[in-house]
Amino acid sequence: MAEDAGSGGGDSLQGRDSGRSRRRPPVPSTSRNGAVPEHQQRGLAGGQGRQRPPEPANEGGGGEEEESEEEPGQGTERAEPDGDHADRRMLRHQYRELINRVQQNREDMLSSNSNSLTDALQEANTLFSGVSQAREAALDAQFLVLASNLGKEKANELHSEMTVFDLPAFAEDLLTFMGLNRLEGEENDSDDESIASGFLPNDAWHKLGAEAERYFRRSPSFHYMLGSFKVDPPVPRQRIERQKRKAGTEEKRAMPAQLKKMEESHQEATEKEVERILGLLQTYFKEDPNMPISFFDFVIDPSSFARTVENIFHVSFIIRDGFARIKLDQDKLPVIEPSHEEEGRENDQNAQVRNQAVISLSHQDWKDIVETFEITEPMIPAPGVSQENES
Amino acid sequence: MAAEEDWALTQSASQVQRNLERLLPAQVDQKVSELVQYLLVKDQKKIPIKRADILKNVIKDYKGVYSEIIKRAGRTLQQVFGLQVMEIDAKHHIYILVSNLPRLEGENLKQDDCTAKLGLLMVILSFLFMKGNAAKESAVWEMLRRLRVDPGVRHEVFGDVKKLVTEEFVRQKYLEYNRIPHTDPPEFEFQWGARAAKETSKMQILRFVAKVPACWEGWRGELKEGEGSDLGGA
Repeated sequence: MAEDAGSGGGDSLQGRDSGRSRRRPPVPSTSRNGAVPEHQQRGLAGGQGRQRPPEPANEGGGGEEEESEEEPGQGTERAEPDGDHADRRMLRHQYRELINRVQQNREDMLSSNSNSLTDALQEANTLFSGVSQAREAALDAQFLVLASNLGKEKANELHSEMTVFDLPAFAEDLLTFMGLNRLEGEENDSDDESIASGFLPNDAWHKLGAEAERYFRRSPSFHYMLGSFKVDPPVPRQRIERQKRKAGTEEKRAMPAQLKKMEESHQEATEKEVERILGLLQTYFKEDPNMPISFFDFVIDPSSFARTVENIFHVSFIIRDGFARIKLDQDKLPVIEPSHEEEGRENDQNAQVRNQAVISLSHQDWKDIVETFEITEPMIPAPGVSQENES
Repeated sequence: MAAEEDWALTQSASQVQRNLERLLPAQVDQKVSELVQYLLVKDQKKIPIKRADILKNVIKDYKGVYSEIIKRAGRTLQQVFGLQVMEIDAKHHIYILVSNLPRLEGENLKQDDCTAKLGLLMVILSFLFMKGNAAKESAVWEMLRRLRVDPGVRHEVFGDVKKLVTEEFVRQKYLEYNRIPHTDPPEFEFQWGARAAKETSKMQILRFVAKVPACWEGWRGELKEGEGSDLGGA
């Protein structure tokens, strides 16, 4: 992988091997004390291919020695094992700098136009000739890993460049497919000219997805149509009934007044209300059979949001049981009209299509409707009021 | 628990048969039905289903006949729903459901968020394919920005796009999101996921990409009929 261009490179490759196997004899350190130091001898004897740690050599007091014998003419020779601390620090610094530079300029390294990766490798080769200790060698190894990863990426990019892929055109085509409306677009004031101007419709991605679905073997999601079945609701009702029965039998004779109150359980109150409202609705229709009543006019109570919600709730029972219908008129506003007598309750359950709708009404909505429709009086009077009237 | 599970599952075919004989057919059928429903429900979110979960939640004491139950469930799914149970990870035993039915024209009536997400996924898969099956995360976002999808900006349709692409699609095994070694700050690259490999193919992606250059207006009506039937199906 390492491109050793030139003779210098070739030699330094050799130098690497010798660095690991220590087969090459070191330059005699005549400048020191004339004799080959003992620790060097040990090193020589030991190392056939074994990675002898340079520490023993170092312990010999490398720092105290004079500067190492790096003869420029023989730049390919391994440096003295006990190179000076300062030199080694310098070397490490250079390595780190090189590594940093390569990481920072990653894009440049990867570019097929540039030779910077090769240059970096050359530089590392040169630096390596000065390496003699493990610490620097580790940095060299780190650089090697980085460089080889970059090399691999660079090779990958070579491969993909063979399929000439025009990204801008691809993006443009996709946008067109999704229905980008270029004519009505605002002026593109962003700096990035690569983003096309124009108005992308809301369902752009849905359009694309619908086309994409044809190329996938995706299994449709399975959902139960009517939702999940919960067992809880029936239970509370039974409890209430039992309580009522008990209370009724025990206290029947003693306190009749209290009995009446007991009867007004939630369930019966609802039924009574529903019946009352149905009666009201039918009364209104007797007066004017052909004109359906606006839903809002009917249910809204301008003085009470809570009562409005209750009215809607009770009306929903009437609709469910088929006594009335809600439709949208020409203005798309909901209107309510009673069903005819022939379409009895039983028929509705079997023949008619059941539709469900969810109406949401916030406090603000209610206020807006009261204002818009100018509702001043509730069509459904409050329960207290009507009771007084009835009696 | 794991050891016991392994023992039960490595039983030979004849052992399984013997275990089967000890059980009432109705019991086994019940388990098969339960497994079918379990798989269908678990598939809703498109997150691959683990065998361990199946054993824990459905099979329970019937581990000795697991291979038979899963085989029958697979058959039911195929015959009734046209769905195939595929193992996308033979080592960890993870399954997905894939449709075996040919696609029909006009089938895409329900267009919801899933549809939109699939569009986005398709774009990413095509891009990855064009780039030789893998691409750096930065390259993917650069491409998506041209389509007005930006990881830093909340998208109208997709919401948190970065989360969608790097988490949801990855969990569903449509994409793989791997760290590139030796990068600091860490960089990631995308690749096709196991589910994508089963649900579609390079050929299909090519067909899609070929179709995209829209040279017509009002594409909805004019979707080429002849081409449509040719491209439908796996």
